[in-house]
Amino acid sequence: MARLMGGKDRRKGESPSLEMTPMIDVVFQLLIFFIVTLKQQDILARLEVSRPAPDSRPPPDKRIDELLEIMVYNHKRLGGEGFVLRGRQVSLGELDRQFQRLSQYDKGVSVIVKCTGDSPHANLVKLLDVCAKSGLRNIAVFSM
Amino acid sequence: MSKRRDDSGTQMDMTPMIDCVFQLIIFFVVTITMQQKLNEDIKLEFSKNGPVPTRPDQTTTVIEVDRNGWISMQGVPLSKAALQDLLKSKRDRLGQTYPILIRGDYRTKHQDIRSVMDICTGIDIWKIEFAAIKEKKN
Repeated sequence: MARLMGGKDRRKGESPSLEMTPMIDVVFQLLIFFIVTLKQQDILARLEVSRPAPDSRPPPDKRIDELLEIMVYNHKRLGGEGFVLRGRQVSLGELDRQFQRLSQYDKGVSVIVKCTGDSPHANLVKLLDVCAKSGLRNIAVFSM
Repeated sequence: MSKRRDDSGTQMDMTPMIDCVFQLIIFFVVTITMQQKLNEDIKLEFSKNGPVPTRPDQTTTVIEVDRNGWISMQGVPLSKAALQDLLKSKRDRLGQTYPILIRGDYRTKHQDIRSVMDICTGIDIWKIEFAAIKEKKN
């Protein structure tokens, strides 16, 4: 009865001790689990484009020289993958220079990107990255 | 030879260590984010200059296109018709301006990306984002 009432029959000087070993084991298991499964995520950029409807046309008040048209192609006859700006094959570095120069005057210029079906997606992303570098945000992507 | 009494073993104070371990566990539990299940086979192109959203929108729909042109969402392969139905129902709930992010493998042909973009424009969603790696962590 005395035991049920709160253990009054404990000998004096004997303090109750909590067994810590299993808890420490579990806590270490958890810690090891978290350390092993921890995987840092890559930082992702988001390149926004607009995708006009196939039949959409530029607004009538927009002058044609305010549009910058770039083609992303992959064509054997043209020597593989690349970019065409105003009818001329250009490298990504040259596009970068042109965009930097252009963005000094007008960052609101509309960039029209035309991609051929067999061009790799990487080239479109590279082009969008160059546009982002120059601060050009008004980008429309068409498919050919 | 020992001056210690037989019944008094050396005792290490475990409290600071347990405190530290608990602090570490709390750190890991708090910093772990519930990640969307993504297709790990998709390798993204780099974009050092692309903008990083400061506060990612939880309503963003991530559409994945692997190097063979297979479309999936959260690791679940989808047909074009299924994707269209899914996007349409989401558009009806969230409106036309909800963000769509395309995770396209860098080797994917544009025609496969195009089919996803065409589905988006088919249901009047004009703004599309492409995912690219700004900074690689692993």
